[in-house]
Amino acid sequence: MLSAINLGKTVATAEGPLAILDSINFTITAGASLAIIGASGSGKSTLLGILAGLDTPSSGEVELDGQQLSCLDEEGRARVRAASVGFVFQSFQLLPGLSALENVMLPLELHGVNQAEAKASRFLRRVGLEHRMQHYPKQLSGGEQQRVAIARAFASEPRVLFADEPTGNLDSKTGAKVIELLFELNQEQGTTLVLVTHEKRLAERCQRRIELDGGRLLHDSALVNTAEPALC
Amino acid sequence: MLSVKLLWRNWRSGELRLLAMAILLAVAVVSAINIFTQRLEVALIAQSNTFLGADRIIRSSHPASAEQHAQAAKAGMRQARTVQFSSMTFAGERMHLASVKAVSETYPLLGQLELSEQAFSKNPAQLEQVVGAPKPGTAWVDSRILPLLDIEIGDAIGVGEIDLKVSKVIVREPDRGDSFSLFGARVMINLKDLAATEVVQPGSRIQYNWLLAAADEPLHKFLNELSLSDHQKVIDLQAAQRGLSRTLGTGRQFLSLAGMIGVLLAGVAIAIAAQQFARRHTDQVALLKSLGASAWKVRMLYASQLFIIAALASLVGVLAGELIQRLISSAVSAIYPLELAAAPLSAYFIGALTGMVCLVFFALPPLWYLPTVSPLKVLRRELSANNVSRWMQGLLGCSAVFFLVWIYSQDIKLTASILVAFLCLALVAGLLALLLLQLGRRLGMKAGSSWRLAWSNLQRYRAQSVMQILVFATAIMLLIVITVVRTSLIDEWKFSLPEDAPNHFFVNISAAELESVEAILKQRQISHNGLYPMVRGRIVKVNQQPPTAQQKSNSSIFRRESNLSWSQALPLKNEITSGLWWDQWQAAEPGLAGVSVERELAEELDLKLGDKLGFSIGGLALEAEIASFRSLNWDTMQPNFYFLFSPGTLKSYSPSYMTSVYIPNQEKRILNTLLRNHPTMLVIEMDLVIEQIQKLTQQVSDGVELVLALVLLGGIMVLLAAVNASMDYRMQEAGILRALGSTAKRILGSTFLEFFMLGILAGLIAVLGAEILLIGLQHWVLELPLQPHYWSWVLGPLFGGALVASLGLWASRAAVSVPPAVVLREL
Repeated sequence: MLSAINLGKTVATAEGPLAILDSINFTITAGASLAIIGASGSGKSTLLGILAGLDTPSSGEVELDGQQLSCLDEEGRARVRAASVGFVFQSFQLLPGLSALENVMLPLELHGVNQAEAKASRFLRRVGLEHRMQHYPKQLSGGEQQRVAIARAFASEPRVLFADEPTGNLDSKTGAKVIELLFELNQEQGTTLVLVTHEKRLAERCQRRIELDGGRLLHDSALVNTAEPALC
Repeated sequence: MLSVKLLWRNWRSGELRLLAMAILLAVAVVSAINIFTQRLEVALIAQSNTFLGADRIIRSSHPASAEQHAQAAKAGMRQARTVQFSSMTFAGERMHLASVKAVSETYPLLGQLELSEQAFSKNPAQLEQVVGAPKPGTAWVDSRILPLLDIEIGDAIGVGEIDLKVSKVIVREPDRGDSFSLFGARVMINLKDLAATEVVQPGSRIQYNWLLAAADEPLHKFLNELSLSDHQKVIDLQAAQRGLSRTLGTGRQFLSLAGMIGVLLAGVAIAIAAQQFARRHTDQVALLKSLGASAWKVRMLYASQLFIIAALASLVGVLAGELIQRLISSAVSAIYPLELAAAPLSAYFIGALTGMVCLVFFALPPLWYLPTVSPLKVLRRELSANNVSRWMQGLLGCSAVFFLVWIYSQDIKLTASILVAFLCLALVAGLLALLLLQLGRRLGMKAGSSWRLAWSNLQRYRAQSVMQILVFATAIMLLIVITVVRTSLIDEWKFSLPEDAPNHFFVNISAAELESVEAILKQRQISHNGLYPMVRGRIVKVNQQPPTAQQKSNSSIFRRESNLSWSQALPLKNEITSGLWWDQWQAAEPGLAGVSVERELAEELDLKLGDKLGFSIGGLALEAEIASFRSLNWDTMQPNFYFLFSPGTLKSYSPSYMTSVYIPNQEKRILNTLLRNHPTMLVIEMDLVIEQIQKLTQQVSDGVELVLALVLLGGIMVLLAAVNASMDYRMQEAGILRALGSTAKRILGSTFLEFFMLGILAGLIAVLGAEILLIGLQHWVLELPLQPHYWSWVLGPLFGGALVASLGLWASRAAVSVPPAVVLREL
């Protein structure tokens, strides 16, 4: 479903090249959940960006839903994202000018889904925000905003959901509720879930955990399937 | 459809409002200026053509042929005919050499005659406006002919072989202004009576005027196709009224300049608003892209939103513009007797086009690169968004300015002048702004805490500060330019026609009458502008040779008598262009008289200094050597002479005298006394012509003032957009400062100082730019004298400081009135 093969990311700095990611290898199957953990600056978010096709690696390959991302240009990667990927962000990333309902409708409309409004309403009800549909982000609490973001992510029925510190901006009680919701929907829809977190409790809910340190894979909770797909 | 939904949502959230308002205001300001100026221009041209009584006159010493009339009728021309000549008129024992004008029923084609049944009346209740000729058998006459011939309205007046009943007096005659050379009082008769007068004989000096009126295009087509005889000459406003057409010309140039500056200001406001919109939308674009939208899709989404908003804003803008100009027009009509014509459709089209042009040149560049925002920005907000390279933006900006200026002015010199000034301003201003910021910081550090905070802010956001200074400077510069140009134009018009300009000419005063005329004037405290001796004479020889047939047909000066005079001093507004005036001149042969010739006439006759001209004065010969050439100012209401002789030359030819005087309206009855006592003296009433010219000048300057007000609105809009664009960081900073315990007063104080200093720096740069631009404009385009504008060096920076500071404070009030927590959370 999702494979990282010898992934590396290097950036140029004043002191010379700096490796942010180095030789990352793993594969997860459809419907599985993976937590990427590590200290600040260990390369977690960079890895998530590359896995989701938001960024390109300096070396190595990502295979997402049967597509080798390095063979694709930005437009191609956008098509893959449109077809298979959903996101939940630490900072929610709701558009302030749109109501909760419109925020959820946005990706559906973007992909030309019929009855976007009905579908969006259904997902908002699913996350318990049926009374908040017409509210704007600034009228919602942090937890509510993240629930809108989760509804938005699941509404387009992605095959892989990437979540970047989904509870990072929430208190522990609200965070726990959001985690609960995330996993319930993950179960219901059979979505593959990849999340970056430094929260132990959240990581433990995932079937598999990998830990990064200084851009290298320090620990993998499961055996890694290293069968390499053909490069393009 | 999605773009419409997004547009609606963006609109509702207020994101698009500033941009839409900028486009709307741009279109509204431009439409209002354009529609109003076009209406004004059409009205002014139509009104000024009433000075001719037609759009064109074909003048000749022979009547136009029947074929020509048929051709004109076929081409759809409106036609009228007038025949003018001097003829002795009689009533009992009295007689007067009148200027008779026989007119056809359709006369005048433009404008109206004003008639009255009361002599010398100016009371509107006693006046009637008329188009047409007097009924056959009747005549309309100037009031002053009544005392001259000692008759009343209803009495008969003899013209040639027939008697006509005087039915009305003429108060105003639209095309009177072009008949300076016809001295007698007007007697207007029906063209059908002309033959019966038997005045028209072979050899009579008669002027046939064939009046034409039609829309521009068919008129030009007709005139191009018409074959004129050697005697026929086309007279347009340009030829008839040199001073007036210059006034109109500069007025028109000013209006197009103002319209253009309005567009530029609005364009800058749009560019700023679009930049702000783009900045605020980078996160949205990153999100859309993370959701799988391709760059092309994002570009289409934003481009279609922009085009929809531009189309709607243009539509509303044109309507708003129409409304504004209607308000202005009705205000104008309420105060001034100005009848505006309908604007051509093109005026509306230009307004709507402006919206699209502004969008393409000013709004699209900042937004074009929006789709290249990396989707990774959703994860790492600190990533900077791509933007159009500064060079590219500069290039697009210059093209926009060039294109718009060219569209509006249709004048390449004006376009180049503005573009060069813009580039100079941008180059010098950027450096100057940096330098001033540096200098100000040193001073600011020694001042109080508000000053320090303000300067450190300006320093910290140096790039932004420089940009803002440039924008403010551009707006202030354009406002200074437009104010100066307007002031110079109006001053120039007023200067060329002072209020107490002479409004009457007295001609044919005999030497014996001089004392008595002067005494009557003195009694009413009316002063004259010097008495000029005058004899009538004709040029008969140039360098002892009689003029050839060719020369005779080229210039009418050989075919008619001219007014000859002499003067010790060079008359007012006359300038020697070559040769010497009498105090320095010496005749080539002792005893030979000297003559100073008007420059244009000399060129026409190909005369050189030292040439000898032979004149015939009442059958007596006089030879004079050309001592100098003079330029005259025909716009002044002073006696002007083509030929001025050395002092005393003409004394032995029993000259009569002429002068020009200013007679206030209420003193006009003095003419009665003068004419009763001196029946041979001729009075030419110029007051009506002057009144018409002054009314027109007033209308042009009023229009100019209104247009200036609209341009000012554009300037304020730019300032507001620029202030608004910096509001995000100002709000954030104010929020942090307030959270740290700073008082609202202190924050407002430093904000005020910051904007004030920005405004002052911008004002200084603006003044410099304005002077450069004005030199170009005044020297090459408007041809006005160059002048430094000292006031602008003081007022520019002060005005800039005050305006920017008050707008800044007004826009920043939210930063202190909203609780800091809200401010910080929202950003």
